[in-house]
Amino acid sequence: MVPTPSADAPLGTPIAAPVPALAAQDVLFDRSARTTWRLGFDRWAGWLLPLLFLVAILPILDLVWYISKTAIPTLTWEILTSFNYRTVDALGVPIVSTVEVLALSTAFAVLLGVFGGIATAEFLSDRSAGWVRVSANMLAGTPSVVLGYFGFFTFCIYAGWGYVMMAGVLTLAFFMTPYIFRIADLAYTSIPRPIREAAYGSGTRPHQYIVKVATPIAFPQVLNGIFLAMAIGLGETAPIVLTTTGSKILPPNLFAPVTYMTALIWADFSSPSGSGGYDVALQCAFLLVVAVVGLNILVRVISARYRKRLEGLYQ
Amino acid sequence: MEQTPAPQDPEGREPLPPPSSSGPSAPAGAPRTRPPILRTVGRIVPFIPALVPAAIVAAIVYSLLHAAGFSIALHNWRTWQISLPTNFGWEFFGSNWNPPYSWGIAVFVVGSFLTAVPALLFSMLIGLGIAIASVAYLPRLVTRFLDPFVDLLAGIPSVIYGIWGYLVIAPYFGTVLNPYLYEHLRFVPGLGGTMPPSSGLGLPVGIFLLTLMALPITTLLIRDSLRSVPRDLWESGLALGATRWEAMRRISIPHAKGGIVSAGFLGFGRAFGETVAIAMVLNLVAVYPTNFYGGTATIAAEMFSILDSAYGNSQFLAALSEMALILVVISLAVNVVGRLFISRLSATEIAGL
Repeated sequence: MVPTPSADAPLGTPIAAPVPALAAQDVLFDRSARTTWRLGFDRWAGWLLPLLFLVAILPILDLVWYISKTAIPTLTWEILTSFNYRTVDALGVPIVSTVEVLALSTAFAVLLGVFGGIATAEFLSDRSAGWVRVSANMLAGTPSVVLGYFGFFTFCIYAGWGYVMMAGVLTLAFFMTPYIFRIADLAYTSIPRPIREAAYGSGTRPHQYIVKVATPIAFPQVLNGIFLAMAIGLGETAPIVLTTTGSKILPPNLFAPVTYMTALIWADFSSPSGSGGYDVALQCAFLLVVAVVGLNILVRVISARYRKRLEGLYQ
Repeated sequence: MEQTPAPQDPEGREPLPPPSSSGPSAPAGAPRTRPPILRTVGRIVPFIPALVPAAIVAAIVYSLLHAAGFSIALHNWRTWQISLPTNFGWEFFGSNWNPPYSWGIAVFVVGSFLTAVPALLFSMLIGLGIAIASVAYLPRLVTRFLDPFVDLLAGIPSVIYGIWGYLVIAPYFGTVLNPYLYEHLRFVPGLGGTMPPSSGLGLPVGIFLLTLMALPITTLLIRDSLRSVPRDLWESGLALGATRWEAMRRISIPHAKGGIVSAGFLGFGRAFGETVAIAMVLNLVAVYPTNFYGGTATIAAEMFSILDSAYGNSQFLAALSEMALILVVISLAVNVVGRLFISRLSATEIAGL
């Protein structure tokens, strides 16, 4: 099939139009317009999409910077530690009250949440556990203002307590419960199956398994959930504002008014404290940001170490 | 339910056989150590703590119904006559809100959607972009440094967002952004009309704050569902010559569709129920906004800021608790539907969402 030059053609006449030589890179890399566009789009996406991180990072940096910038110059050691209610700006009372309220509601929430999580993970069938998880997610998805109304109606009005610390504590505890519940459930469900089977196979009773086998493994993550719920509860405003009223002294008992820091921010925002502008609100906000960010970092560290430990269990 | 993490060990979950005294080794007529009633109680008691969340939800709904005078209820279950708010009649869904005289909450419902829907739209777009960048484009070293910022966004208390929005963002919007938009984009419907207020309080700041607050939940859920796409699929896409964008667009995103839809639902639930920050920046007024810069009120924010004036007035409290019930129904529905699409939420549960 190879065409041979005819005899009468002069020597050296080309047989056919010469085929342009293909460079190696054109064979390997498609240089059509479409592919150029595809590759260019991908490259631009690689540069532009990460810039969206700025949308998340810049506001948070600005928020932390603004709050620190305005709060730190006015925040003295005396303000932080003074319990003197005659000096308007002393923060000793709100800080200690906040710690008290948060500790009490964490105690209630741990009582409800951890046992609930263990029961869901260990005793319930898959189907009923699924329903229980739906209910926990429903509670976690309930807007905080609704929980505040629930506390207001139930404790302040029906129970006749009025705006007191106990109402705030219980409402906040109910708000924090589902978070602890879900993480306790997750922690006990995600214990490696071989460990579980070894324990039951060697004859432990369920309560022995929970106390001696599962809890030592799951404890860090449960602790994690508790810190997380504390961070969420610490920043919550509506459940407290709707169920308690402010006070200038530490609550002498559980059925006395109490000042929570977020409620103080809201109060100072609604009626700024005279010449000081929003000083009190900004100081409280600064302390809250420090506490919340600290708790979040703690959660992250514990969670990372826990994951490493859980991976170690498989080896 | 699809969302139960399928644990394949039913034998590990069932209570073990009763103690050895009643086991097969015991003689047939031997007395049992525990009477059957105690054993039944012992079987039931461990389940009780699991009912706590359901009990709290039920208590919330009951207390609100009680405060509403049971006016929103199934009136006659035989004929399925549902009596909608009989305290106020159908005017309750009208738009005339003038508390001691007329009760119409349509303004707040519209306000809630007007703030939550744009915020959800923005946070979904931004969250999708961040998630794609974090999963497909950035090296692991960089994302390990950048991702915590998004999580941190979820941790900031909303009252602090509110005060920052009021003191920093609103003045900026009021003096720079809104006048600019008003001057140059007046022909766009909604951006013209009455002058934007110089305080800047109103819809734009509300939408901005809600976008920020819904951003972590959308970003985390989308990122998780994109990460959980099997690596084989992604790599075979690349091996067939797809660019990373194409592999993302044609393989990962279709595979992670459920997670992305649920991110939308849960982000909407978050934005819809947000209270304090909105109450601080929205310049609460019970009117429909005439243009983009106007102030309005949402259900949650109005409920939060008005309770003091309702104290002691049972009709006012009934109206507020009916608003609360509407809020509960919407946010519970959104939450339950949103979670149907996700099988497991471990990472986001750790972030507290």
